[in-house]
Amino acid sequence: MPMHARSTHKLQKTLVFAAFLALPIAFFLAAYVYAVGYTGFVSLHRWDGISPTMQFIGLGNYERLMGESRFWHAVANNLRWLVFYLVVPSVTGLLLALLVDGKLKGEGAIKTFIFLPYIIAPVAVAAVWRWLYLPDGGLFNTLLTDMGLPGATQNWLGDRDIATYSVMMAALWSTAGFSFLVFFSGLRSIPQELFEAARVDGANAWTIFWKITLPHLWPSTVLVLGLFGIEAMRLFDIVWSTTGGGPSRASEVLATQLYDVAFATFQMGKASAIGIVQLILAAILILPYIIYITRRIEEAPE
Amino acid sequence: MTAHPISPARVLRYGIAALACLVFFVPLLVTLNTSFKVPSELTDILSLPQTPTLENYRIAIREVGPSVINSLLITIPSVALSVLIGSMAAYPLSMMDPKKSRWIYFLLLSGMFVPFQIVQIPAFFVIRTLGLYDTIYGLWLVHVAYGVPICTFFMRNYFASVPRSMYEAAQVDGCGPAAYFFKILMPASITGIAALSIVQSRSVWNDLLFAMTLTSSDAAMPVTAKLNGFVGAIQVQHGPLMASAVLTVLPMLVAFLMFQKAFVRGLLGGSSK
Repeated sequence: MPMHARSTHKLQKTLVFAAFLALPIAFFLAAYVYAVGYTGFVSLHRWDGISPTMQFIGLGNYERLMGESRFWHAVANNLRWLVFYLVVPSVTGLLLALLVDGKLKGEGAIKTFIFLPYIIAPVAVAAVWRWLYLPDGGLFNTLLTDMGLPGATQNWLGDRDIATYSVMMAALWSTAGFSFLVFFSGLRSIPQELFEAARVDGANAWTIFWKITLPHLWPSTVLVLGLFGIEAMRLFDIVWSTTGGGPSRASEVLATQLYDVAFATFQMGKASAIGIVQLILAAILILPYIIYITRRIEEAPE
Repeated sequence: MTAHPISPARVLRYGIAALACLVFFVPLLVTLNTSFKVPSELTDILSLPQTPTLENYRIAIREVGPSVINSLLITIPSVALSVLIGSMAAYPLSMMDPKKSRWIYFLLLSGMFVPFQIVQIPAFFVIRTLGLYDTIYGLWLVHVAYGVPICTFFMRNYFASVPRSMYEAAQVDGCGPAAYFFKILMPASITGIAALSIVQSRSVWNDLLFAMTLTSSDAAMPVTAKLNGFVGAIQVQHGPLMASAVLTVLPMLVAFLMFQKAFVRGLLGGSSK
C-alpha cells in the first residue's frame, strides 16, 4: 500500500470511530454526568419542583435527613435487604443448581419451572403475592388453617414487624431462578476429569464440594453477588407495588422514600439528598467490585 | 455421574426436585386458577373454578389492553435503538488495546451499577422540558440512554471474540471501517445481538420506576405502571386483577419460551466467561 493511501485510511478510520462514539458518549454525559450533577445541585436547595426559583440552603437537606428516624429506618431496611440478597437467593440458587446437576430426566423442564418467575415483572409478582398473603382467604393463611395451625396465621403485609420479611419471600421466589441458572451453567463448565481424579484419590463428596466445586464456581459467585448487591441498594419496584413502603412506612427503603418525598410531598431538594446518599452508599459497596471486575477483564486473555 | 437409576439417593433427588418445581409453580397456578373464577368462588383459593369464565379477561383487556400495546411500542424500538447505539460504541472500543481502554470499562460498569433513583428527578424535569412527558418517545429516550452502558459492555465483549483477521481481510478488499461494521460485523454477530436484545427487553418491559415517573395517562403508560395502579386500588377485584397480571407477563413469557437459549446466553454473556 502506498504511503499516502495508508495515512488516508488511518485518518478515515479515526474519523469513522469518532463518529461512532459521538452519540453514545453524548447519551452517557447527559444521562449520567449531567443528571447526577443536577441531583447534587438540587440537593443543596429548597424547591417544590414548581416555583421558578430554588432557595439555596447549603447542606440543610442533609442535616435534616440525618436527624430523621424515618431516614435511618430506610437505610437499615436497605442493609437488611443487602444481607438478605447476598445470602438467601444466592444460596437457594446454588443448592437448586447442585440438586438439578445430576443428569436428572426432565432437566430442561425443571430449569424452566425454577427460572420462570425471574421473567415476571416485579409489579406482577406483587399482584400475585398480595393475593397469596391476603389475611382472609389468601393461600398462606388457608394452608396454615387447613393444616390445623390457625394460630400461625399472620397479617403478612399488614404487620409492621414482618412486612419486610414477607416482601423478601416474594423477592426470593422471583430472583432465585437467576442465581440458579448462573450456578448451573458454572457447574456445567467444570471439567469432569477433575471429579473423576478426585474420586480415584478417594475424596468424599463433601471434600470434592469444598475443594473442587466451590472454587470453580468463583466466577459465577462474583456475578451473582455483584448483581444481587446492587439490586439490594436500588430496590424499588417490588417494595413499592407490594406494600408501598407500609404499613406506616415500616417496609420503606431509600428508593421508595425518595419517590414519596419527591412526587407526593414535592420536596425536591430533600429527595435529591436521599438520592445522593443512596449513590454514596452504593458506591462504597460497589466500587471495589467494579475495580475487581475491570482488573479481571484486563487480565483475561483476548 | 453413573449412579444407578433406582438408587434411593436418586429417588430422593427427584422428590426434592419435583417439590422445588411445585413451590416455584404454585403462585403461577393460583394466579391462572383465580383468573378463570367468578367472584363468588374467590373465597376458597384452592378450589378449581366450577363455572370457568372469560369475563375477567374481558375486563382485563379493556383495562390494560391499551397499555400492553404501549409497552410493545416502547420496548421494541428502544431495545433496537440501544442495541444499535451500544454496538456502535463497542466497535471502536473492541479495536483498542485493552490496557488503554481500562478507564472506559470502568465508566461503563459504573453506569451499569448506578441506582436509577439518583437520576429520577432530573429525568422527570428534562423529559418535561423537552415536551416529552407522558409520551412514548420520552420513554424511548430514557431507556436508550440508560441502556448504553450495558449494551456497549456486552457488545464490546462479543466483538472482542470476532477474529481481527476478518477486519484486515475486509480492508484488503477495499471495505472501509464503516462499511465493515454494517455489512460484515453486525450480520456476523447476530447471536450476540439476539441474546442482548432479549435480556434488554426484559428490563425495559418490566421497568416500573421510569414508567411511573414519566407517564400519567393511557396515551403512553406502559402496562407495569397501569397494573401498579390496580394493585394499590382500595377495592381490589381479584379475578380481573389476576387476569391483568397474566396479560402483563404474557408477552415476555412467550418471548422467553421462544428464545430461551438466547436469553440464557445473554444473562451469562460478557461476565462469566
